[in-house]
Formats: sequence, structure tokens, C-alpha cells
Amino acid sequence: MASVTYPQTFEAPATPTTLKLAKREQAMIGAHIIAALVALMFGIFMGPFQTFHRSPTFVQYFPTIPIFTFYYQAVTAHGVMNALFFTTFFIIGFCYFVVERSLQRPIKSTPMGWAAFASMAVGLVMMLFVLLTMPQQSAVLYTFYPPMIAPAMFYIGLVLLVLGSWLASANIFLTYRDWKREHPNDRVPLAVLAVVVNFIVWCVATIGVAIEIVFMLLPASLGILKVTDPQLARTLFWFFGHPLVYFWLLPAYVSWYTMLPRQAGGKLFSEPLARVAFIMFLVFSVPVGVHHQFSDPGISASSKGIQTLLTLIVSIPSFMTAFNVGAALENAARNRGAKTLFDWPFKQKWNDPVVAAQLSGMLLFIAGGFSGLINASAQLNATIHNTSWVPAHFHQTLGGGVTLTYIGILYWLLPAIRGRALFSRKVALAQVFTWLIGMTLFGLAMGEAGLQGVPRRALTSQAPYLTPAGAFWMDVTAVSGVILLISSILLYVNIIGTLFFSRQPMPEAEVPIETVSGDRTSPLWLERWGIWLGILGILLLISYGPVMTEVLDFQEGWNILRYMPTSNAPMP
Amino acid sequence: MEINKLERYWLIAVGITLGAFTAATILAVTVFGIRLPAPVERIDPQRLDQTIFANPGVRKIADNRYEAVIVARSWAFDAGPEAGNPAVLRFPRGSQVTFYVTSKDVMHGFQIEKHTLNLELVPGQVARATANFNRPGTYHIICNHYCGAGHQVMYGVIIVE
Repeated sequence: MASVTYPQTFEAPATPTTLKLAKREQAMIGAHIIAALVALMFGIFMGPFQTFHRSPTFVQYFPTIPIFTFYYQAVTAHGVMNALFFTTFFIIGFCYFVVERSLQRPIKSTPMGWAAFASMAVGLVMMLFVLLTMPQQSAVLYTFYPPMIAPAMFYIGLVLLVLGSWLASANIFLTYRDWKREHPNDRVPLAVLAVVVNFIVWCVATIGVAIEIVFMLLPASLGILKVTDPQLARTLFWFFGHPLVYFWLLPAYVSWYTMLPRQAGGKLFSEPLARVAFIMFLVFSVPVGVHHQFSDPGISASSKGIQTLLTLIVSIPSFMTAFNVGAALENAARNRGAKTLFDWPFKQKWNDPVVAAQLSGMLLFIAGGFSGLINASAQLNATIHNTSWVPAHFHQTLGGGVTLTYIGILYWLLPAIRGRALFSRKVALAQVFTWLIGMTLFGLAMGEAGLQGVPRRALTSQAPYLTPAGAFWMDVTAVSGVILLISSILLYVNIIGTLFFSRQPMPEAEVPIETVSGDRTSPLWLERWGIWLGILGILLLISYGPVMTEVLDFQEGWNILRYMPTSNAPMP
Repeated sequence: MEINKLERYWLIAVGITLGAFTAATILAVTVFGIRLPAPVERIDPQRLDQTIFANPGVRKIADNRYEAVIVARSWAFDAGPEAGNPAVLRFPRGSQVTFYVTSKDVMHGFQIEKHTLNLELVPGQVARATANFNRPGTYHIICNHYCGAGHQVMYGVIIVE
């Protein structure tokens, strides 16, 4: 074991390993998690309502569907709230907890932490205001491609979210730097290594969307800029949009690698390879965004080919994770008496909502990983691009693996924040399994519909081109929507129950993370960040250099923004 | 840093799998000739009347070879007055059709059912792709990229006779 002396500055709870939160932690982490849950509440219920709107049979029997009657408003709210606001608030709150408890010190600056939170919270309020009061004008979906332009408040809300997240990133980097100065010869705990990687990925990725919003979309929305370039905007968006999915995924991996083995009753198989996997995410998760643009006319086939290859490479650390975490789970099952080759998946703590949620998430994530490899293969993409296959894929990954893991985290973190026991373990278990069933059915139905040519993000119940097979799968999707609606309600029963109605004291529990790096064999050079950022820079040059040259297309001089924007989303 | 034997085998298997994926991708281009959309030309979407898109429609260029010029707008595919609205295009079985498509307002999509033809229509860019129609039948052209409140009614029809 590493010999580590902890700084005296740590404002520690009674014993450092107990899960009980200090007042300062409770306020800071609690604020982020609650804000995340507010955002999720506005986003999550829009999901089932979209499946109802899309189903011809459902619409036939229930012509008026209450709450968010405008389908494309529901799509926008669902994407913006779930994918951008819920995730960012949750990840920052959770990562503060991971950093503070792993390094046994508070984050660098509490005032900076609150400034970051305030910025993001104002962004959330502005975004909710514009989505609720201007449903038609703000229905630009969470990808907000120009020339469709939303009200300025939409973009200002996003700017404030990103600004706050940058402050939070700086806070985490500075905390890590302080620890590293005091422990130059120690390996940082695995969880913190992963968190640092995650926020580096985030900071690099958001450069793209920040340039897009600040220099193109916001000025166009304010009427200052009269021209735009959709091809450039799409390229900047996806420079951000794909690393974004790793920003969502890595905190889930933090839980799988550093918490789940202990929660499941086992031990991680190989810590050094876990570190290698996270460093690979740092290097390979950014230069792959063009795989969302295989069908774009403005980018050459060779540029697309380079990013296809890089996309396949970025699946390697996920395959490594499958082995490493899988082995840890097998170890847990053996400790619990599993004997044969295939009984270990069944000998897990399926009756513990924290474990069951993460295991269920993994099952969905395996399906999502393989559908992702199909999407990444440039030519196969032509059969499924912009079809409902794509939401099927990211509801198995983001809506399945990531969200169920966040929910699993929530089931121990929320009680710790509130200082009370979880409202109901039974409701939590029912929520997890209805989610697993609902999302499996959703993935199947949307995937099949996509192969039939049913487009994503379209009000298919009104579409003249919907075939009988497509209509059938849309009806099945609505059934999955009912199951997921029940699951979402159960989730909020537990959240509201734990916050306001739980009377049981929180059970004595340990923090499920390692506070020291247990493995002395992992090389210290994995923390030489300059090397990895250098390699990332070179890869970005190789992968995005040609793309940007093609997209900017200086043949006609420096006038790169060439298209007049419309003032808002076109209406009938 | 030690790598466990089993883990090494696993990594080799992963490498082989991804190698096969890469090989398949390269074969698709070199042997089967599947092409991804690539830059054709930039145009001003507000001055389409000065380009080939001034007169959308289908043109026969050789035996069984056609060119179709189509303008996408909210919310229709304009393939000339003969094709009507929604546009209906007829091709004999065995035709090879090269589509030139662009958008004159916002982002649109262009997907032909049951054929591997799937284009993003980006205002200011000409999208080009070729499809072979070997099976008789009726296939929808679907706008698969959100383009506003009427997105779901934007479609066309291809009839292969």
C-alpha cells in the first residue's frame, strides 16, 4: 500500500471513510445534484410523450396528448434538459464528491465552486423559460443547427452552462495540482485520474461549440450577424458532440471501476490497465466527431475514412473495460459462492438497487456498444443515418448504461445528501427493472423501425410515408414509452420521498471509493499530461486539419460565412 | 506494468475484430465501390436560379442512365413541374440515377427507402449520390433531417417500373 500523509486542511467528517457528508459538502454537492434532478424532471417525461406522439394507433385513440402538445418542443426539451443540463450538473456534483473523498481534501475554492454553480443555474432557468414560453421559436432541437435560429436566450443559457462548467473544471484541475505537489511520487487514485481525464476531454470539446455559439449563432440570433454557414456550424457542433458522449460515459466508468467492485463484493481485476483505458479515452475520444457527418456533402471521403479508423480505436478502452469490470464482477460472484462457468452473472446482488441499476445499465450498454460500431462503419451508416436506429443506439448507451449508472449512484448519494435512508428500496428495484425492460423494448422497436427507413425526430404519426411495418414498430415504441413513463414516475417517487418523506436515519455506510492508489505497478508516466495533450494535438491536426480546410473552403476568399439565416424555425 | 495472460488474449481478439471492421470498410470502397458523399460544389442558396437548380427535373443522359436535379425546401422536394407535389419520379427497372440535391432554406435530409442513399442537405452545398434501381416497386424519398413544424409531411415518391 502507498504511504500517504493527508493534509491537515481537510475539513473531515467524523471518520474519513463514512459516507456522512460534512455541511459544506452537503450544500455544494447537494445543490448540483438537485439542479440536475430539476433539469431531468423537465426532460425525462418528454421521452414517453414523444413515443405517444409518434405512434399512429396511440394518436388515433388519444388525439390530444396533454403536456407539451407540440411534438418538436418535446424533442427539444428532452434533448436539452437530459443531455446537456442534467448530465453536466450531475457530473460536476458527483466529480466534486469523488475528488474530495479520494484526495481527502476539499476542492480548491468553494467560492469559485458557487460561482460556477450560479452561472449554470442561471443558464438552466433561462433555458427553461425560453423552452416553456416560446415553444415554436425555440424548437431547434438540442443540436440547434443553423440556419434555423432560436431566441438569443436559448444560446445565452448554453453559454452560461459552459462557462460554469469551465470554472468547475478549473477547480478540479487546481485541486489535483495541489495534491500532486504534495505527493510527487504517488499515483493519484484511479477515480481522480478518470475525473481529470473527463474534464480535459470536456474543456477541449467545448471549444468547438463555444466558437459556434459565440461567433455564429448568438450574433445571428441578436441580428448582429446576417450570414452563417451550416456546414461549418455542423462541424464545430460535432467536434463537441462526440467527445460529449464520453464526458457522460466516463463518470459511469468511474463508478464501474472504482465503486461497483466494492459494492458488488469483489475486487478490480487490473488497476494499471484501467488507467491505460482512461488515458486512451483522453487521446482518442475527441478526434472522431466527423463520424456524425458521414452523409455531409462538404467533407471529403478520405477525411471521413481517417475518423472512421479513429472511432474504431476509441472502442478499445471500452472493450478493456468490459473485461476488467467483468472480471471484477466474476470475482464478486465467486466470493458469493458462484461455482460454474456461467452462473456468476446470476449470483450478483440483483436485490440491491445500487448494484442492480449499474448491472442493468451494462446490459443495455453492451447492445449500445455494438450498434455504435455499426454506426461508426462509414458505409453501414448510409442505411441508418438519421433513422430511428440512431436514437435506439443512444438510448442503449446514454439512456441505458449511463443513466442507469447515474441512477445507481443517486440511490446512495441522494440519501447521503439528505442524511436519511432511501425512501424505498422496493420502488427503486421496480424502477430499475422497468427501465431495463422499457429501454430494451425501445431499442428493439426503434432499431427495427430505423432499418425500415423510419426517420428520427419526426412526427411519424402524421407522416404520409409511414409504411405498415414502420407504423407497427412505432406502436411498439409507444408501449415501451408507457413502461418508461412508469419507471420515471417511480424514480421521482423515490427522489421526492427521500428528500421530504424519509424518516429512517441513513444507515452507517462507507464511501465506496479508494482513497489511495493501491497499485504500485502502474507507471507514473501515465500522469505526464503534457505527453497526452501533445498526442491529442497531433491527432486533432491529422483528423481535423483536412476537415477544417474543406469546410472553410477559402477558394472564394476569406468570406467564410455565406448564407443568410432565417430568423426562427419555419412555421406552417 | 504487467498484463495478465487472459487479458492479453482478450486484447488480441479485440484487435482482430477491429482489424476485420477496418478491412471491411476498406473493401467496401475499393472492391464494392461504395462512395460516401464528398464535396461537389458550393452555391449560394439564395441564387439557385443561376445554377443547375434553376430547372429541377429528371434528365436522361444515356441508356438506363439518368440525372435528377432536386431542390429541397420547407416542406417539399421540388423535382420540376412534371413531377408535381409531392414529387413523383418514375424510372424503368435497371436504371442508374445520379441525384444532385441542395436545400434553399434550412437543413434537410434525403433518404430513399430500401436503398443505401442517405444525404444531409446542407444549404450552400451541392449533395451528389448515385442509386441503382433494380427492384420494381414504390419507394419513398424521406426528409430525415428536422426542418421545422411541417417536417413530417416532406417526402417524395420513386416508382420503379
